[in-house]
Amino acid sequence: MDLSFLTVQVLSALRQAAFLFLISSGLTLIFGVLNILNFAHGALYMLGAYFMYWVTLQIVGPAGFLLALVAAPLGVAVIAAVIELGLLRRIYIQEEIYQLLLTYALVLIIDDLAKIVFGPEFKSISKPEILSGSVTLFDGTVPVYTLLVVVLAPAVAALLWYLLYRTKTGKVVRATSSDREMADALGINMSALFTLVFAFGAVLAGLGGALAGPARTVFPGVGTEVIIESFVVVVIGGLGNLWGALIGSILIGSLETIGIIVFPEFEMSLIYLLMVAVLVVRPWGLFGRPLKVKALSEKNLAMEAQEISPVHFAVHPAVRWAPLLLLLLVPLFAGRFYQYLLTQIFVASLMAIAFNLLLGMTGLLSFGQAAFFGVGAYTAGLLLTKTGLGTLSALALSPVVAAAAAGVIGFFCVRLSGVHFAMLTLAFGQLIFTVVYKWYGFTGGDNGIQGIPVNPIPLGGLGDIDIGSTQSMYYFVLAVVALSVELLRRIRSSPFGATLKSIRENGQRAAYLGLNVKLYQWTAFVVAGAFTGLAGGLYALMEKSISPEIIHWTKSAEPVLMSIIGGIYTFVGPAVGAVVYITLNSYLVAWTEKWALVLGLVLLTLVLLLPGGVVGFVNEKARQTLGKLRCIRKWSFSKSATS
Amino acid sequence: MAFLELNSINTYYGRSHILFDVSLSIEKGEVVSLIGRNGAGKSTTFRSIIGLTPPQAGEVLFRGERISGLRAFRICRKGIGFVPEDRRCFPDLTVRENLEVAARREKETAVPWTVERIYALFPRLQEREKNLGSQLSGGEQQMLTIARTLMTNPEVLLLDEPSEGLAPLVVSLLADMILRIRKEGVTVLLAEQNLHFCAKVSDRGYVIDKGSVKYEGTMSDLLSNEEVKEKYLAV
Ligand SMILES: Nc1ncnc2c1ncn2[C@@H]1O[C@H](COP(=O)(O)OP(=O)(O)OP(=O)(O)O)[C@@H](O)[C@H]1O
Ligand SMILES: [Mg+2]
Repeated sequence: MDLSFLTVQVLSALRQAAFLFLISSGLTLIFGVLNILNFAHGALYMLGAYFMYWVTLQIVGPAGFLLALVAAPLGVAVIAAVIELGLLRRIYIQEEIYQLLLTYALVLIIDDLAKIVFGPEFKSISKPEILSGSVTLFDGTVPVYTLLVVVLAPAVAALLWYLLYRTKTGKVVRATSSDREMADALGINMSALFTLVFAFGAVLAGLGGALAGPARTVFPGVGTEVIIESFVVVVIGGLGNLWGALIGSILIGSLETIGIIVFPEFEMSLIYLLMVAVLVVRPWGLFGRPLKVKALSEKNLAMEAQEISPVHFAVHPAVRWAPLLLLLLVPLFAGRFYQYLLTQIFVASLMAIAFNLLLGMTGLLSFGQAAFFGVGAYTAGLLLTKTGLGTLSALALSPVVAAAAAGVIGFFCVRLSGVHFAMLTLAFGQLIFTVVYKWYGFTGGDNGIQGIPVNPIPLGGLGDIDIGSTQSMYYFVLAVVALSVELLRRIRSSPFGATLKSIRENGQRAAYLGLNVKLYQWTAFVVAGAFTGLAGGLYALMEKSISPEIIHWTKSAEPVLMSIIGGIYTFVGPAVGAVVYITLNSYLVAWTEKWALVLGLVLLTLVLLLPGGVVGFVNEKARQTLGKLRCIRKWSFSKSATS
Repeated sequence: MAFLELNSINTYYGRSHILFDVSLSIEKGEVVSLIGRNGAGKSTTFRSIIGLTPPQAGEVLFRGERISGLRAFRICRKGIGFVPEDRRCFPDLTVRENLEVAARREKETAVPWTVERIYALFPRLQEREKNLGSQLSGGEQQMLTIARTLMTNPEVLLLDEPSEGLAPLVVSLLADMILRIRKEGVTVLLAEQNLHFCAKVSDRGYVIDKGSVKYEGTMSDLLSNEEVKEKYLAV
């Protein structure tokens, strides 16, 4: 290896580390103080890049470039302050997941707004002449712009150090990251500090975008990749820890550079592999500390109260089976479009209900369910295309293989909790995604698998059932999903389900009572993985073609969204959410390109107005009405505790 | 009108009702003890006063003004200082930084607390100035949390079980500190399980059990009341 090559590669790694640090330092600061993992941070990065683009178009030349470099981050800060004051502030008292969801809704909204304002195409930002050339350094040719970035990022790091360690506000920020309640009791105004830190974090994201824009390109949605990379960095470094973000950035920047040279195919897999390895060995990241377990908030307790609402239990079995009867009749009067739509909804419902076995029942937020969906889908897809296995056998193996994957992944994940659990499931999910995406020889890589043969199912001596048509597929999927959902319902009301619930409510108490909490959580993880895999298998059969997109992390967000839309503390909630989500999706996509914007607004409204989800809301209303009619005994605690 | 007054407050953690009509009344310049066993509701009373767990019913008055319902930082700025029970100094900040972040002066008190005056009162903290909160011994951490709260220049100090887990020598040092803080004109409400420690520093006390006040009187009356001691304080 000669010196010039080394110089170029080292600087390339440092440049990558510099961008990563700018973005993740803001992310980790916000997490430290506000305790929110800000999904919208990538969108703020994107805005920084777009503002840079816009300002440099208005004022061409070095002066414009310099001005843009200052103005873009400030513009992003203003937007962030508005977001914090107008939206985030309203939901601090709620559970973490609603805050995550709100920032996720913001991603959808900001991405689509950017598309409307700046157009869907890729934009490149021109650099002034003095920054476009390159210089020779140790025989290597290095772009001037790279040098600028590599010098500027450490300067920002030094400034951050000064602000945090030498100013009173910085010290207050550090104090608040380690004990928010104590800071509050010492007279520090949390609201003002939150706005400040959120806006300041946004300045860093905006600066990252403004600096990276001219080196990369800008397009709507660029944030979704950036945010995941920064999650990797801050999780590896330790959430909320600035030094962790610095070291994490250098590690990931170097690994990406080495990866491109040594394993060009699996460069991205390496990053997730590192993240998995770090979290397995040091669950709280390299510099992190275990997070304090948050006491249940009043709001949370009020929402859980809905779950034991008598209305919920009063559902008669006949009422439960009535929808199935109705669904059996649908093909008699509904056309193929609706049959297909409903088939999609069945599959999504199964995935969402299985997922909610983790979130709503066990209190585990998995952000990697798409992996099990994908494993199920690819199991069926590969078996059907590459072996002579029958349709039913291939489908039956989907949940088995998915369960095996969940068994291995779950073994590592259930040792963590809260946001760390979510991040480890995300890392495993993305690891599987990157492998499937690149492994052309086995999975077809990004081409996926097309034309999956779905042979008729033999019925012993009674002939075959062909499930090739939309209508027969409709009945087939309905039958499989109905059986699975009934199974899941029984699991939920079994003693096993009751134990899961007690673990969610108070894991420590459950452990004192001698329960093997981790074993229960692992079992729930495997069961959820199996049913998710089955849903994936069904998906492969109905679509007859699959591609790696179904494993991408944005797909893992779907069951989360569905469950929260419907309500996580009810059994049918996730299915109702699936109906809303899939219906919205297919109608909006036909009607407007701005489907993500509308979905984002729906989510936003939901988080702010109906945190119990649709079903939670209906239950609560029914309870209130029946309570007024004196049909049911009032729950004394919820009245006295919340009035 | 008392300086700090609790009028039948009722406090909940979620669904569980913890405090039942707790009423206290503290005059300016007093050191008053709130004595009770583990889980009696002492910390909850303090959290209710400072606004971290606001009471659902009843009210807290400070100088005749209703402070219940305000947010914690506002209550602190009104002049109430809270020292929590588990020595929650900021572990990643140095001793000096711990003091600096809390420094505030809302009113023109005659002689405000400054880092220098704190060091005069707690010389040990000056020696450990550059150490991180997490590097201090239990006794030093206790001193630091008290000192940190003093930096907010409170008129009332809520001290939650300061003697818990400290060596006897440190405990008597602590008693000394409390008397000196009182001499500076600070009113003190002290939560304790240790009756003898209370007797050393306070004149009056309340006994709390299962979230309600069971007894109130001077410390000397309480010390000689075997029935109350037997019923509510014996372990
Ligand atoms: N965060 C909480 N959630 C639910 N219950 C709580 C919580 N904190 C305390 N409790 C309960 O409230 C009651 C009163 O607790 P509190 O901490 O006020 O007692 P204490 O007198 O300070 O006890 P100790 O001497 O142990 O500090 C106890 O029964 C306790 O179990
Ligand atoms: Mg206590």
